[in-house]
Amino acid sequence: MITLIRRHASLVVIAAIGATAAAVLWRRDGTAAVGAALVHAWDLFLFIAPSLLAGLLLAAALRQLMSPGGLARWMGAESGWFGLAVAMLAGALTPGGPMAAFPLVLVLAGAGADRGALVAYILSWALNGFQKLLVYEVPLLGPDFAIMRTLITLPMPMLAGWIARRLPIAWEAPK
Amino acid sequence: MTAGQAFLWVLALIAFGFCLRRGPAAGHRAVADAGRNLLKILPMFAVALPMAAFLAELVPADAASGWIGPESGLAGIAIASFAGGLMPGGPFVTFPLVLTFAKAGAGVAQMSALITGWSIFAIHRIVTWEYPVLGWRFVMLRLISGLPLPIAAGLIADAVLQVLPITLGRP
Repeated sequence: MITLIRRHASLVVIAAIGATAAAVLWRRDGTAAVGAALVHAWDLFLFIAPSLLAGLLLAAALRQLMSPGGLARWMGAESGWFGLAVAMLAGALTPGGPMAAFPLVLVLAGAGADRGALVAYILSWALNGFQKLLVYEVPLLGPDFAIMRTLITLPMPMLAGWIARRLPIAWEAPK
Repeated sequence: MTAGQAFLWVLALIAFGFCLRRGPAAGHRAVADAGRNLLKILPMFAVALPMAAFLAELVPADAASGWIGPESGLAGIAIASFAGGLMPGGPFVTFPLVLTFAKAGAGVAQMSALITGWSIFAIHRIVTWEYPVLGWRFVMLRLISGLPLPIAAGLIADAVLQVLPITLGRP
């Protein structure tokens, strides 16, 4: 049940918001407006589809090539800023969605990464993951904006990791 | 195909080439993996893109210019950071919605804060993945460490925009 909700919660929420918005739009502007919006959505899909396919292939190929556990020996509690930099790089290069990234945190923790490096890793994936950037942000929002935002947030995971190492919250990887 | 998309395809084909050098089995696994993920993501697209399109029609042209417009300053950046955490899905939801907000008058610095806020706080991701896999202590550790980052990103973007007039939207 939990897995079912986990898999489909976003889908249900988004579908509900979408259906409500469609109903409101239909009442206000009629069927033609709903049709026009659907055409816009289809155009957007066609626009994003080439990047989407390339991004999925790149992510899948990288998963075959990389072994994240090997990086963790540079991400221990005594690794300092260098460890945080490795974590930042690894996070930005991690392909795929949350179903891939969060289990990798456990893999890294098991291989010796400390909580600061893990916070830096997962934040770097969330903020600056290459797949999100290249598949969605650059095509939809334009390269100027995407580059500016990424340059601004690029070092932030290291800072957060540095803070996380100083917070009095002990964390052990769940068994 | 745009230059960015061509670049992405070149990267993908290079990485796939390395897979094939390891043997046909690795190449086959990569293609199968990509196909499975495509099947998982298509239903999301089927609901997320129409939702963003309907909302784009409903949101009045100047709706966002007040609260999160370019002149909204720190308050707008804070609102956008918080709103980012409430975005209900992955990048296929957030980026089309950001485009919608931008057309409705949202500021560029505020949208930087919103994307950063979504990346760090996204509630749906915490509830469905981070808490079950890593536990509350990790969630707290990460949220406290990342708390000031969306507002910082918005303020830095605001400073950059004073020098570089960057706009949002397709080139």
